[in-house]
Amino acid sequence: MAPTHDPQLLKGVLSLLLLRLLAEHESYGYEVVQRLRQLGLTDITEGSVYPALARLEREGRVEARLVASRSGPARKYYRPTAAGTEALAEGTASWLSLAAVVHPTLVRPLPDPPTSTEDI
Amino acid sequence: MATSRGTLDRLRVERAVWTFDARLQDLPRRSRIAKRRELRDNLWAAAEDVGARQAVRQLGDLRVLAAGYLSAEYGELTRRPSWGAAALTIFLVEAVMTLLAHVGRVAFDAGITATDPQATGTFRWNGVPYLISDETFTYLDGTHTSVGGAWTPLVYVLMLGGAFVTGRLWRLTIAWRRYQTRPVVTDDQKTGGQA
Repeated sequence: MAPTHDPQLLKGVLSLLLLRLLAEHESYGYEVVQRLRQLGLTDITEGSVYPALARLEREGRVEARLVASRSGPARKYYRPTAAGTEALAEGTASWLSLAAVVHPTLVRPLPDPPTSTEDI
Repeated sequence: MATSRGTLDRLRVERAVWTFDARLQDLPRRSRIAKRRELRDNLWAAAEDVGARQAVRQLGDLRVLAAGYLSAEYGELTRRPSWGAAALTIFLVEAVMTLLAHVGRVAFDAGITATDPQATGTFRWNGVPYLISDETFTYLDGTHTSVGGAWTPLVYVLMLGGAFVTGRLWRLTIAWRRYQTRPVVTDDQKTGGQA
């Protein structure tokens, strides 16, 4: 069974992930969802990705262009703007800095639990 | 799983798209249409993979999806502009005024015909102060025609001012400024025709 991810944690880094994926190559909404699922975020929903893309576009971090599709109407492909690329670099540095503190702390072994003594 | 676009699938997708659209009434029309098109396209892309039924299911709660888009457009404002509230205010003012005018005219007519069921002559109703102007009733053997009784400019001020206030339309300036300051979107190829 695929692991589930804390939606709040995911929400915090979703914009960063989207910017990263779009920087690798431009994609349309559903394709982004598929790529996130292929990364292992199998529980991610379209309902969280599509508004996040809209938010990035509103903030000027991604831009969109319509590309004709063989299977139907033109598809809206997203790619990062210069501001988006800058935000990606800053966000990545911030995340790596945070992970460098959080990860070693969370994976280091816990001390042995105290042994219980029976009351006499 | 590849699927053809059967009638049932189209109905499923369109139902989801228009339900979603109905919850985006507070977005500017152009933005709403763009989001509707994009959702439809994404749904069909997903439907080619997993079928229309599952594609719609994967969207999750359409209210949550629409709320996400509204937040994306207006930010995390708790009190967003509402075209729905503005339209409701205009409708209510219109309904109240229509009712008021109707009741006033009926009452005036009842008063005249109660006095003289076969009334003949011209009678003047003073209307409702500040809201409805004078109206002249011309009777001939108890039946009448009337002229006047228009709503005063104050009614239209109340209607539009009320819509502005209840719809929080001044908050549209926030979205408008964001729209003005965002980078220019390039459309390499525009293929229209989809609503």
